[in-house]
Amino acid sequence: MIELKNVRFSVPADESNDGGGPTKTIINDVSFTFEKGKFYGITGPNGGGKTTLSKLIMGINPVTSGSITLDGQDISDMSITDRARAGIAYGFQNSARFKGTTFRDLLSIAAGTDDEAALTRIIAGLGICSLDFLDKPVDTKLSGGEIKKIELATIIARNPKVAIYDEPDTGIDLWTIGPMVEVLKREQKEKGTTTIVVSHNRTFLEAADEILMIRDGRIAYSGGLDGALPILEDLSACSFGDLCEGETDVRCFR
Amino acid sequence: MLDALDKELLKTVADLESIPKGAYNIRKNGKLLGREVSANIDIESNAEGTGIVITIKPGTKDESVHIPVILSQAGLHDVVYNTFIVGEDADVTIIAGCGIHCGGSAPEGHEGIHEFRIGRNARLKYVEKHVALGEGKGKRTLNPTTNVYLDENAYAEMELSQLGGVDEARRVNTAELGPGSAILITERVMTDGDQRAESKNELILQGEDSKANIVSRSVVKGDSKQDFFVNLEARAKCYGHIECDAIIMDNGISETVPALKALHPDAALTHEASIGKIANDQLMKLMSLGLTYDESVNRIIQGFLK
Repeated sequence: MIELKNVRFSVPADESNDGGGPTKTIINDVSFTFEKGKFYGITGPNGGGKTTLSKLIMGINPVTSGSITLDGQDISDMSITDRARAGIAYGFQNSARFKGTTFRDLLSIAAGTDDEAALTRIIAGLGICSLDFLDKPVDTKLSGGEIKKIELATIIARNPKVAIYDEPDTGIDLWTIGPMVEVLKREQKEKGTTTIVVSHNRTFLEAADEILMIRDGRIAYSGGLDGALPILEDLSACSFGDLCEGETDVRCFR
Repeated sequence: MLDALDKELLKTVADLESIPKGAYNIRKNGKLLGREVSANIDIESNAEGTGIVITIKPGTKDESVHIPVILSQAGLHDVVYNTFIVGEDADVTIIAGCGIHCGGSAPEGHEGIHEFRIGRNARLKYVEKHVALGEGKGKRTLNPTTNVYLDENAYAEMELSQLGGVDEARRVNTAELGPGSAILITERVMTDGDQRAESKNELILQGEDSKANIVSRSVVKGDSKQDFFVNLEARAKCYGHIECDAIIMDNGISETVPALKALHPDAALTHEASIGKIANDQLMKLMSLGLTYDESVNRIIQGFLK
């Protein structure tokens, strides 16, 4: 269980200004409890704070104020490493590319073993059948789909209590999304993994037990997908609400 | 014949636990320590007595030669001129390397000037490791020169590495490629403290359809400095690529100058070069897998230099 209490994250309004000066609030007083074993879909307009919120949980961004607890333990000041060891795993939207590091290297670190049979078991469950894939360098030559499979595999290999995926469908083909959702649902069911997926993709949102909509750094909605759909449709039609010149304006295609 | 120190040096530079099987020539403190020839590989001292000539018979397959040099005598600066003649259609591996152990304050150094003549259709893999060990404060210098001549359709793969302890290194690599020949040079250098390393490379693609690929990976730590220069000159329809990456840490500085010269309209030459700190997203990824910051840095560097 992950509990956010009055979580706030702000950055200097002017990037060149490190300390003091005016600030810009990205996440504004968010309180929410992610229940153990549930599947959450986080969605909302671009720039609304979805990725930032998920990074706050992993510790990639530090909270400015408020607290985050994991199973009752305050993790707000813990490093990424310690949060990982405490059971949180994070799938990056833009996965890191290395030089000289292979999939096998990453998977061994994630699984805590380099035992070939153990690694094979993990990847077989993900529909990566070819063993050759293990020795692929995780570099810029990988396709978007390949790197996402690698990202997914390293998270599942951690066997985490809480798995966070930031836009796991970026760069993969439509046909791969279905099987990917099945893998996440299976992990949730079999291992009781609390699953948090940041996505705009309907397949992921339909798989979720609860939808969380983040807009302007706040929770604009939480609940079932049915309740979220009207708001989502509204958002998908126009994401420039603030600048809108009105329905009668010819430049508006709504 | 080999003491504990010799064994440690040999293991580090040539992965040798003891005297190797097959042809070898071990040089210790400027003198011959042991030599063995095989039916197909001959090793002789050169006429001037300044080095060795290794002759590999045409058609020799799957054989290897070890030619390590070890140095543990304070104040010694050893210079050798070695010539390697690889016969037509041969396919061999040469494992060289120099290990310095410095126990005192006097400087120690080695300069290996190697010339390779690789015959038609022959394949050579050359592995060279340089290290310096020991607690002594004496300056350790390693200045290797490698000159390669590739005949028609010959192939050479050269792995050159310097992974620690060497205070000053000035490397020169040159290659001249005949028609259809190819060379792949991979250089890995790690420096720390006040160490200096410089590598100058001159590759001439002389023959039609020749190919050259040179890859450099540098890790520059502490207050050290590494410079890397490459000139790739195309004189025929050919293909050449330079890839040089440097990771700088602490106060390390690096200069990388890749140069391409196309003197023929059908030459295809490319280069990519990058210098920078370890990318933040790489560190984040490894830390999110449970490694500490320092462990993550080590893993990234290990992979980079692998």
